[in-house]
Amino acid sequence: MKISGVYTLNVPQERAYALLQDPAILAKCMPGCEGLDRIAENQYAMRMKMVLASISGLFAGKVTIADPNPPTGYRLIVEGSGKIGFMKGDGVLMLSPAGSGATVHFEGDVQVGGTIASVGQRLLDTTSRMLIKRFFTRLAAESAQAGVERVAAD
Amino acid sequence: MATTISKPATLVGKGIRRQEDPRLITGTAVYVDDIKMPGMHHAAIVRSPHAAARIAGINTEAALAHPGVVAVFTGADVKNLGAVPCASSLPGLRVPHHHLLAQDRVYYTGHPVAVVVATDRYVAADAASLVEVQYDPQPAVADPEKALAAGAPAVHPQWPDNTSFTFHQEGGDTGQAFRDAEIVVKQRITSQRLIPTSIETRGVVAEWRPGEKSLTMFTSTQIPHLVRTLVAGILGMPENHLRVITPEVGGGFGSKLNVYAEEALMCYIAKEIGKPVKWVESRRENFQATIHGRGHVDYYELAAKRDGTMLGLKLKLIQDLGAYHQLLTPAIPTLSVLMMPGLYKFKSISADIIGVFTNCVPTDAYRGAGRPEATHGIERMVDILAAELHMDPAEIRFKNFVGKDEFPYATTTGLFYDSGNYALPLQNAMAQVDYAGLRQEQATARAAGKLMGIGLSTYGEICAIGPSAAMPAGGWESATVKIEPSGKVTVMTGASPHGQGEETTFAQIVADELGVDIDDVMVVHGDTAVVQYGIGTFGSRGTAVGGAALFYALQELKAKIKKFGAMLLGSDNVSLVGGSCVDDATGKSVSFAEMAVAAYHAKTLPPNTQPGLVATYFWEPPNFTFPFGAHIVVTDVDRETGRISIRRYVAVDDCGKIINPLLVAGQVHGGVAQGLGQALWEEAVYDEQGQLITGELTDYALPKASFMPLIESSHTETPSPVNPLGVKGVGEAGTIGCSPAVVNSVVDALSPLGVRHIDMPLTPQKIWKLIVQSGGLS
Repeated sequence: MKISGVYTLNVPQERAYALLQDPAILAKCMPGCEGLDRIAENQYAMRMKMVLASISGLFAGKVTIADPNPPTGYRLIVEGSGKIGFMKGDGVLMLSPAGSGATVHFEGDVQVGGTIASVGQRLLDTTSRMLIKRFFTRLAAESAQAGVERVAAD
Repeated sequence: MATTISKPATLVGKGIRRQEDPRLITGTAVYVDDIKMPGMHHAAIVRSPHAAARIAGINTEAALAHPGVVAVFTGADVKNLGAVPCASSLPGLRVPHHHLLAQDRVYYTGHPVAVVVATDRYVAADAASLVEVQYDPQPAVADPEKALAAGAPAVHPQWPDNTSFTFHQEGGDTGQAFRDAEIVVKQRITSQRLIPTSIETRGVVAEWRPGEKSLTMFTSTQIPHLVRTLVAGILGMPENHLRVITPEVGGGFGSKLNVYAEEALMCYIAKEIGKPVKWVESRRENFQATIHGRGHVDYYELAAKRDGTMLGLKLKLIQDLGAYHQLLTPAIPTLSVLMMPGLYKFKSISADIIGVFTNCVPTDAYRGAGRPEATHGIERMVDILAAELHMDPAEIRFKNFVGKDEFPYATTTGLFYDSGNYALPLQNAMAQVDYAGLRQEQATARAAGKLMGIGLSTYGEICAIGPSAAMPAGGWESATVKIEPSGKVTVMTGASPHGQGEETTFAQIVADELGVDIDDVMVVHGDTAVVQYGIGTFGSRGTAVGGAALFYALQELKAKIKKFGAMLLGSDNVSLVGGSCVDDATGKSVSFAEMAVAAYHAKTLPPNTQPGLVATYFWEPPNFTFPFGAHIVVTDVDRETGRISIRRYVAVDDCGKIINPLLVAGQVHGGVAQGLGQALWEEAVYDEQGQLITGELTDYALPKASFMPLIESSHTETPSPVNPLGVKGVGEAGTIGCSPAVVNSVVDALSPLGVRHIDMPLTPQKIWKLIVQSGGLS
């Protein structure tokens, strides 16, 4: 399944890039994420709860940031598997300035298998969209918060 | 001795209600899942979520540590057991070794990888998710045509061309036919993968008795004796130490005409753990791991004269086999080739089958098994030819039918059609719908911009399967009839039914032959320790082969009873009349009960006669039977939404002599429901990675009662000369006749828009797109 989208964050591009690489922020913003632990440079072990239609389950997997090119973008690879199947996402995030903020453009490919595919396929598209939207909404909130913290810290 | 004789009414031909139904509809029938045994354990199967992957490792520790889990079995445990059997043989057939559990690779989503055994079904299911399998995913291919393309992922690495076999058959001179042709029409026609979906999924209970060194297996199957022989072979145990019991079976449609890994696995596990073990398939497992049906991509070429005379037919048949061969997988498309001429006088045919491996669950027999695909092909091609020639589709059929005085008719595919009057059902169906009037109405509707279609199919099928020479493991059937000492009659049939109502039809045959009350007849089946060896129920053979075996057993028994009657009456000239033996001279008679007592007490015996009243007959059919019929479907297609409404569904079927019209109606209705399912709604869809995305009933559009049109069903009766009952078989007729009639009707409706063919299923989305693309919306 192909996914793509454009979101705007109300922080400068460099700051947006930093947020999008900050495991603490990502863990907070990824829906269902129950842990994101660094295992190597640009590589994190992830635990995530996935709910799709009538099925739900825990996913254990790996998040890898590849080809980092601050502050314009990086490649994100997410792999996970659990009782309800497996998923693999591979995509590119591209950042560009937009006024005082930044635009995040992403596109990628998601593959799922097991019960998620056989039972949840017809809801996968809308569910993915919803989850991504939720991620960016939370990120926007976090970035506003982080922005305030930064001002205070300065 | 009684002297009054009443001849009972003939039961054969009457719509007797099914003897088995009261228990089925009151919840008192026993299915595999109803069986409980002391100490019974439960198994859950870990299945691959990948269509193709190497197994890098399996960690069972967490599952084994789970409270209630007693054992976990993986591929290593069963590596040295036999393989899941394929009974078909074709020249050069490549048969991958089909282990009971995956070894170092998985080949389709749902491939069994491990079995968790626990004290409770839920515990087993929970613990199954704790088995950690490390997969190394490999590229997969799920589409048979893509699998044949250069550079496609190899399903089995040792065979990179993904071709299991090729098979060529020809009859007559197609080269000449195509040279003589004034018109040639070509079409690619698919018959999509379907999921058989019986209400009862598969299920197995196995029990090991160490003292007797014997296994008892309860399994939901159509072929208990063959399962016994083949599972004993897999396990390497003597088959007389394995008892297979098939209790009530809630549907099979061919999907239980098989021997599955789970049957052998449960037997193996019961012995290993020393406890009875039960496994009942969930619906999601059923979709992924029980065989699918159909899966054809067919390329047809039809040569004809401009007057509509059909000369030759060529077919390239690409069969999606899935990843393995189940029992009959490679044989199914060969049935399509046998049936490809349909009811028509083709002088020549030529067919090439390519059996293709894909990373999908295997295909195998599903209601019709190769014949719906063939009938769909020829019936579509006839319509396409008629359209090209601007001929009426009925007229072109009448022109090419095998004539009613040409039987037995030798086909170019090597069959001998037994009997028939192919024009009659079509004439009857046309009269019933007022065909000429309908065509006028259609012309008016078209002028008003409405999309109305009239579709015909005139189908033939191969039933009463079949002569042993044409079968992988015997095509005969067996019956034993016993008159018990009390005069009651017990029948044991080898044709273990799964919903066909043999307890009723066979009792009708017995009641008529012996002149006993139908309630005095008990039909026993599905227990290899009780019933003599049998083949099973499939290929519309229950009555036509099993019933015929019963008929012959009854004749032997009657001859013996007469000896006891003659002895008791002291007469040499006696007749059996209505449950009694009558002295032709005096009119004196003795009842069944009296003769039974004489036979079992055996105080005196007729000369050269053994005590007891039992006869067993194994009947070998000399030929298949060939039922036929005509279905007419009238449809209205909504231009705005693509929705298809079936206005009339008329089925005129000829299944030879009818034993019980009520049961025949049931078979026609069920068959048509499954034919409509294929024509309009059902499709098993695998995505590019080999994930089955129609994984449950929410995504797989099985017809519901409310989807069904009124089926106007009637019959012509052309007796078959093949068996003494004159029956032909009807289990698959509805399915075979249905789908081409529906598609022909919808194509006819859309023909003003230039549509000449549509592949099934005819979903509203597909029809709407066609309407839009052809400018039909404006």
